[in-house]
Amino acid sequence: MMGLTLNVMDIGMLSALVILTLGSIGSFKNSKLGFYGAIIALVIAFSAIALSVAHFISYGIFILVIAIINLVSLEAIKSEIKGVDYGLVALMALATMYIFNTSDFALVLAALVLVSVPTYILVMIREGGANVEVGIKYITFMVLATVLFLIGAIILVYTKNAFDGSLYVLGYVMLVLGLCLEVGVAPLHEWVPDVFSSADPIPISIIASLAKIVPFIAALWILVYTSCDLTASITLFTAVIAAISMFVGNIGALTSKELGRVLGYSTVAGMGYVLTCLVVVARPEYMYLALTGGLLMLFANAAGKIGFFNAIKGGGAYSPLMYILAFSFIGVPPLMGFWGKLFILLSLAKMEYFWLVGIVVINSAISIPYYIRLATELGVDWKPNLTNFICLAAVVMVLVTVFLLPVEWFYSTMEVIAQTVGIAI
Amino acid sequence: MIDDWVVFLLLFLAPVLSSIPIVLAYKSKEWTEKLPYLSVFGIFVSVLMSLYIFFTFPKELPASQFAYPWIPELGINIVLITDYLARYMGVVTAVIAFFIAIYGLDYMKGDYRPSWYWFFFNLFTASMLLVVYSDNLFLLFVGWEGLGAASWGLIGHWFRDDDDIAYVGKAGRKVGPLELSWPPSFGGWRAISTIRFGDVPMFFAIAAIWVLSPTLNISEIDWGSLFLGIGAAGTIILMLCFLTGLFTKSAQVPFSEWLMTAMTGPTTVSALLHSATMVAAGAFVFLKVTWYIQPWKPEMHAIPGLEIVFIVVLFVGLISGLYGALAGTGMLERKVLLAASTMSSIGLMFGAAAASYWIGEPLLVEIAGEKISVALLVAFWYMAVHAFAKASLFLVAGHLIHATHSRFCCGGFEFAKRMKTPFIVTIIATTFLVGIPPLTAYWVKSMMDEVHLHLFHHATETGDIHLAIPIALLIITSLVYSAILAKFLSLNFIKGEKPEHEHLEGGGLMKVGYVLMASVLFVLTYHIFVLEETEGFIHAGGEMLSLGVGVAIFIVYIAAIFKPRITSLSKLGTFFNDRMYLPFLNDYIVPKTGFFISRIVQNYGNRGIDGFFNTRVIPGLFGIISRGIRAIQTGYLKSYVKIVLGLVMVFLIMASLWGLGL
Repeated sequence: MMGLTLNVMDIGMLSALVILTLGSIGSFKNSKLGFYGAIIALVIAFSAIALSVAHFISYGIFILVIAIINLVSLEAIKSEIKGVDYGLVALMALATMYIFNTSDFALVLAALVLVSVPTYILVMIREGGANVEVGIKYITFMVLATVLFLIGAIILVYTKNAFDGSLYVLGYVMLVLGLCLEVGVAPLHEWVPDVFSSADPIPISIIASLAKIVPFIAALWILVYTSCDLTASITLFTAVIAAISMFVGNIGALTSKELGRVLGYSTVAGMGYVLTCLVVVARPEYMYLALTGGLLMLFANAAGKIGFFNAIKGGGAYSPLMYILAFSFIGVPPLMGFWGKLFILLSLAKMEYFWLVGIVVINSAISIPYYIRLATELGVDWKPNLTNFICLAAVVMVLVTVFLLPVEWFYSTMEVIAQTVGIAI
Repeated sequence: MIDDWVVFLLLFLAPVLSSIPIVLAYKSKEWTEKLPYLSVFGIFVSVLMSLYIFFTFPKELPASQFAYPWIPELGINIVLITDYLARYMGVVTAVIAFFIAIYGLDYMKGDYRPSWYWFFFNLFTASMLLVVYSDNLFLLFVGWEGLGAASWGLIGHWFRDDDDIAYVGKAGRKVGPLELSWPPSFGGWRAISTIRFGDVPMFFAIAAIWVLSPTLNISEIDWGSLFLGIGAAGTIILMLCFLTGLFTKSAQVPFSEWLMTAMTGPTTVSALLHSATMVAAGAFVFLKVTWYIQPWKPEMHAIPGLEIVFIVVLFVGLISGLYGALAGTGMLERKVLLAASTMSSIGLMFGAAAASYWIGEPLLVEIAGEKISVALLVAFWYMAVHAFAKASLFLVAGHLIHATHSRFCCGGFEFAKRMKTPFIVTIIATTFLVGIPPLTAYWVKSMMDEVHLHLFHHATETGDIHLAIPIALLIITSLVYSAILAKFLSLNFIKGEKPEHEHLEGGGLMKVGYVLMASVLFVLTYHIFVLEETEGFIHAGGEMLSLGVGVAIFIVYIAAIFKPRITSLSKLGTFFNDRMYLPFLNDYIVPKTGFFISRIVQNYGNRGIDGFFNTRVIPGLFGIISRGIRAIQTGYLKSYVKIVLGLVMVFLIMASLWGLGL
């Protein structure tokens, strides 16, 4: 019987899914039910994870917070699918929380799809109708991305069992290209500035935050799992793509005027920073550095994007909050963005990718003016409204590394996670 | 027994700490009139400590070395030494500073910024003591920079440039494009700029030694293998870089100009910094280093390049000696004349110390268990005698400037009768200093003659003709030197013009200062006679050559008193008074070259950098990339699909090709 093999984790996840579904159904009557259902489902899932594997608390708590902020921010928009949108966001968050808990290749891919597909619907959310044009633009590339990613992943896993060098290279490139398309890494970033500037800022804040995490973890998971003698040399491909993405993103953002577009390019650059972590797959012993750096970077990116997009939606937010988010993006210590960059640089240095270290640093410098510009243009006086509370929550998140949680704590748990992932593989 | 550490702390910190109250009270006229006594007391503490070290601290290594960790990881520690040179020079420095400080209580009364003056005066004393007692080159350099800063602060003390009495040169006198007249602010600038010019290569030399040697302690560095390791060219470059710092600080040619215009500072400053201690610091550090290099040892003669270094020092020193003395013959400004004679004396110290390379057995003296060349000893004793004698003369000059309100020599016999104390002190200081037998400097100078005569014999034996020149330079310098000091005496007290103003009352503490200062000369004479190591000086005084030179010096001295000015040579005198046009180097050639280089850098270098980073290359590149990035964003899905699919295909084909190649 199935029931005999169920553990706390599975029970928690299952009940979360059930509550989520019930909440979404109920939301046709009352959209509040969808919201509360989503929150309860997330809390149950988080508790289940925390109870079963203590080391995942740190990771899970960040996902929980990001997801809750995303859920709350949906209040700012009156969509036609009000209620269901909560369910979609919560589903993405559940998949994101779950991905570290599995050692099953199929479940990793399933998590990727679970995070990707809800965004197809979310991206079209608009007040009074659906943003079909943006949706088509987005979905076209997402489908291509998911297909590339999945085929690449399957080829790689196949080579794990029956090694073939040329297939490995092909699979690696396909997977990385799929990832690039999915998260918006140059030179496959064309959809990003358009979608980011023409879709509604609230769903974009979700796509730019929560949806970015799983693809990276999945890619890292599969690449580490399938790494072979060729990996060390082929990581150069990732490094070059990452470098291109940083330059394109930062220069594009520096010379763009529209705020949404600036944030779009900033995402291109940010994903470039995170992509550099993938060079570490050749040496799993440094994966904890890359994981720490990449995740902190993704969290900082999520917090910043949520804050800025909500500020765009709400016509500006309290000025100091905007500046703190900008400084976190730039990488000013001791904000979270700094720690993300620091650990990424450490992992690159360990891998002896010193030229890439230089490029990351130069790009951080290039990014300073436009982040300050964003903060200046979006900064307004304090008003007690939803936008400011969401931005405050985002700021608390990037300040977490200063006041609440020492970075060592996150870092050491990442060390354990990297080990468990390694053992699981 | 007081702890060593406490002694050193008091020695270095008492002057600095005791001058802080007057700095804090700079606004209160009442307090700034009283607090100088505290500053002087601080220096008095240093005197006591230096005497305590002199009498009780061990003389011989390793007991004479005191190390306290500072940055032990880098081999930089607080390492002090109480060897022969340090224990004597420490007392000399502290005592002279103390006497001058007493004099300064009177001299600086009513000045417009006493806080500034006393702080830098005391900071200087502490820095000089640090230089004297340091064994670690880095620590020495810290003190060394303190000297430079204090020198700048004190020369430019009268920064308002509002009183002609503080100027050097005649106002409005122009030669070519230059006005040969310098205000205090410019004097300060000339000093610090020249000294910094030398300090930079010196710092690099110390850095090089730090890299090459496991230790920076002068007494512990294995100089022989250090030099052998870097070869002839390395040795010469290293030592010349090091020496640039010493030559600039000691105002040797061609870096002597700053010392002449340093006379724009208060006379106390001229006496302490610019005659007795700071300018002597260059020669002192050379002595200190040579003491441990021990170049007279046969094995050091096998080091390629080292001889060239000592030849350079020998001739820079002796040429500076002659230049300074000759320049002095044309000078009529009291302090500038003394400044020229100072650089001359320091040149002789350098010359004698450098001669140690060729002065080995049997002219070695045993000091603290080490056999030291007598050439070094004589250079040091000349430094000590010169310090007290010249400081006395400067202090007298300061008193005369107060009394006559003129910085030019003036005052006849009538004036001398009313100014008996300064008159007598001047007679003592000049006669004791120029080398008239049997007064103090005669014995030292005799040994110096002996040393240079030895070089002459060396030259005739080995055929190194250049070594025959030093004795001639020394004798000529000694004679001219005697003449200029006699001229100083004569023009101020015997045959000078009647002063326009006479302001003779007061000045009690000033008199105390220089009387005490000059009286030390007797103590030194006594020491020369009783000390074991200076026994050779007395023997040298009995040599025919020394006696001959001594008598000649005496004759010149008397002649110069009777005829202090020779009008038929006035053109030559003007040329000498213009320091043989050396000011052009400082005020014309170097700045013009600097401006030329800065113009090139501005016109080409900066524009290039600006063009690359700010106006053309990088911004242009950004423009192109940015246009490219934005050109893609047409907004049409079909063009995006083309781009993305095209790129994906290209990448996949590349991957396939690479895969096939495996």
